[in-house]
Amino acid sequence: MTADQTMWKRKAFEAAAVAVRWALGAYFVYMGLKKAMHPEEFLKLTRQYEMVHTPFLLNTIAAGLPWFEAFCGILLLLGIAVRGTALTLVAVLVPFTWLVLRRALVLQALRAIPFCAVKFDCGCGAGEVYICNKLAENIILILVSCWLLSGVGRAFCARHALFPGKSGKVKAGG
Amino acid sequence: MPSSKSEIRTIVVEAAIVVIVGLGIGLAANALSPRGLALSRNYFPGGTNQAAAAPGPVQAVPGPAETNEPSEAAQLSERLRGKGLQELKLNQVEILFDDPRRQDGRIVFVDARNPDDYQEGHIPGAYELDPYHPEKELGTILPICQAAEKVVVYCTGGDCEDSDTVALLLQDGGVPDQKLFVYGGGFTAWEAAHLPVETGARNGGTDSK
Repeated sequence: MTADQTMWKRKAFEAAAVAVRWALGAYFVYMGLKKAMHPEEFLKLTRQYEMVHTPFLLNTIAAGLPWFEAFCGILLLLGIAVRGTALTLVAVLVPFTWLVLRRALVLQALRAIPFCAVKFDCGCGAGEVYICNKLAENIILILVSCWLLSGVGRAFCARHALFPGKSGKVKAGG
Repeated sequence: MPSSKSEIRTIVVEAAIVVIVGLGIGLAANALSPRGLALSRNYFPGGTNQAAAAPGPVQAVPGPAETNEPSEAAQLSERLRGKGLQELKLNQVEILFDDPRRQDGRIVFVDARNPDDYQEGHIPGAYELDPYHPEKELGTILPICQAAEKVVVYCTGGDCEDSDTVALLLQDGGVPDQKLFVYGGGFTAWEAAHLPVETGARNGGTDSK
């Protein structure tokens, strides 16, 4: 492979990473704002997971999470603290996926239907969804977040790392 | 992937900053939003956890294989009994709707769905009371309900618990238990039975059969 080809390959890879970062950012902004516009609906949906037992905690989660999601999306779109944001998203998505799975298993047992036929509003912002589709979507989101966590998608970033000197890598392009 | 320990530490610190700032912004946005939630309020007086109020697939919408109706109806009755609320079936609500006492305010209907749903269609003459923002209408509706002989509260129906919340709000406001009824089938069953529906504001919209 020539040096030119290697360079083009690297550029294409970086362009794909930036596109993925923007897509992930836009997704979280859209989903976050959709929930934030109807916090009472999100509150009811959050309640179904039985995560917390006090109204204050439940309300805090339902009130803060949608805006928090939108905030993370904006950070990804602008390219600010990308790796920290990606780590945050992984830390939120993994337990949330587990909660959705647990809820789906309860519904499957109650309805005595095949697992992939379970359909419910998981509070993700997209209304009722089939559980297998939702799990696949979440796995993709987790993998994409992990990819961004690895440090790709640095082009067009306002500030890829909050502490550039310590992150160990040089900002490329943008 | 991050390789060195210091790099990992930097990313974790960055994530912590994102979480703290994000949650701060989130809670501030909620406080400023007209649709924001009041953090200290108990929106589910019957219990924060759904299982406490209703065992079973309460939030779930039946999928390709429908859950059987008697079981859901039984769950609904059990849920209302658990909260000390009286349930009305569709035929009983129809009788109250046709009762002349409804015209002079002795029988009152209260719609506990969100304002958008109310505008799209509600039981004619029903008052709107959003359980998540009751401060808007409670002051007006409470004296009307106190003066009435019977108060029927409804929401979407089925696993919707907003009617329970409104009934409990009215109860807290001094409306006696024996006057309060929850129509469990809700607006979905009302509409499905092709009963009259009013759109827009109370007594200001169109009736349709």
